[in-house]
Amino acid sequence: MSDETLGRRLAGELPRYTAPAALRQRIAASARPRPARPAWLAPTLSALATAALLILFVIPRMPHTTPADAVNRLVGAVVAEHTRVLLWGARRPDIVPLAAEEAGIRLARAFVGDERLRFLAAEPVYLDWRRGIALHYRDVEGHDVTYVAIPAPGMPVPDRNRVDIQMPDRVARPALIRSGGFATWFWKQGDLACFIVSDRVAESDLPAFKEYFVRMRGATEPQAF
Amino acid sequence: MGEFSQDCLTHLDALYNFAMYLTRKPPEADDLVQETYLRAFRFSHRFQPGTHLRAWLFQIMRNTFLTFYRLRERETAIAEDGVPDWDVPMFHDAPDEDSRAMEAHTDLERAMRRLPEEFRTVLLLAEVEGMPLEEVARVMACPVGTVKSRIFRAKERLRGLLRDYEKQ
Repeated sequence: MSDETLGRRLAGELPRYTAPAALRQRIAASARPRPARPAWLAPTLSALATAALLILFVIPRMPHTTPADAVNRLVGAVVAEHTRVLLWGARRPDIVPLAAEEAGIRLARAFVGDERLRFLAAEPVYLDWRRGIALHYRDVEGHDVTYVAIPAPGMPVPDRNRVDIQMPDRVARPALIRSGGFATWFWKQGDLACFIVSDRVAESDLPAFKEYFVRMRGATEPQAF
Repeated sequence: MGEFSQDCLTHLDALYNFAMYLTRKPPEADDLVQETYLRAFRFSHRFQPGTHLRAWLFQIMRNTFLTFYRLRERETAIAEDGVPDWDVPMFHDAPDEDSRAMEAHTDLERAMRRLPEEFRTVLLLAEVEGMPLEEVARVMACPVGTVKSRIFRAKERLRGLLRDYEKQ
């Protein structure tokens, strides 16, 4: 059989198969352009992705202030400790160096009382999951005054309620927080948060309370170690 | 539907016929044709207007068959006994006993099925579809000289098979 004959037989005798109609319809359907995405979809997805990135990476690295409730929580704990001492007295009326050692706070200097304020006791305290030291005094009019130093790195003194107090060498600006029927001075010394709590809460008591701050702040030098 | 898609669909019957001779089974031919068109639509930007669309589509179909269907055959052969069988035929050299396979109506058709894929394809493209040798060479991704040589050898093999059938 010659090449030409074989070629003719292949072209003429070999069965040809025709595509089924269903297959043609399926292919025609797949060729139709898909409906365009809604115009709002791309910007919405983009915004969501940006928000997710912000939440995951940016916001944790942004400078942030400690929430006010953290300060309030710590002040509340200090006031509660002061109240406890008012009701039942200091648990460990030990000497200052021993209490400081147990508290993990070194007192380079400590106010041991004068003609206005009588030193009562010193004891380690555990407030708001932190070890600290409390020094207890009573003034000549019978008001108990508690000094507390406790580690609080990163906790800023709130800008509100700052009061200027003239110290012998400078002006201090502690925050005055009135809470639960008590007045509290709050300031920072390094990573330590320091408080003075008293029931001298009236406006007329403020000069005396300022004076207590000057005496205690000026004569007490706590250091974390 | 776009103009490109319309042009592609004009070759559907020729492609389906080619797919039937490659796969021998209508369901597999359907799958192969669909996959070919999906790829053609997806990669339509690669088609150079003015060149031969028919050859481009046949090339996609053959490549799809060689990569996907042959791979599937080999996987099946390995899975059945758990041992790789290196003697599994690359192409459909033996008649398929599957009842769903298309039946051979003539000795010529039966002989075509016995040919190796590269021989069967050159005969289908050149003699049945009437493609110029340059287009066949493009589909087969080989020089025109190789196409001529394969056509010659394919016809010799086909003649031998037909002679055998006549003797039976």
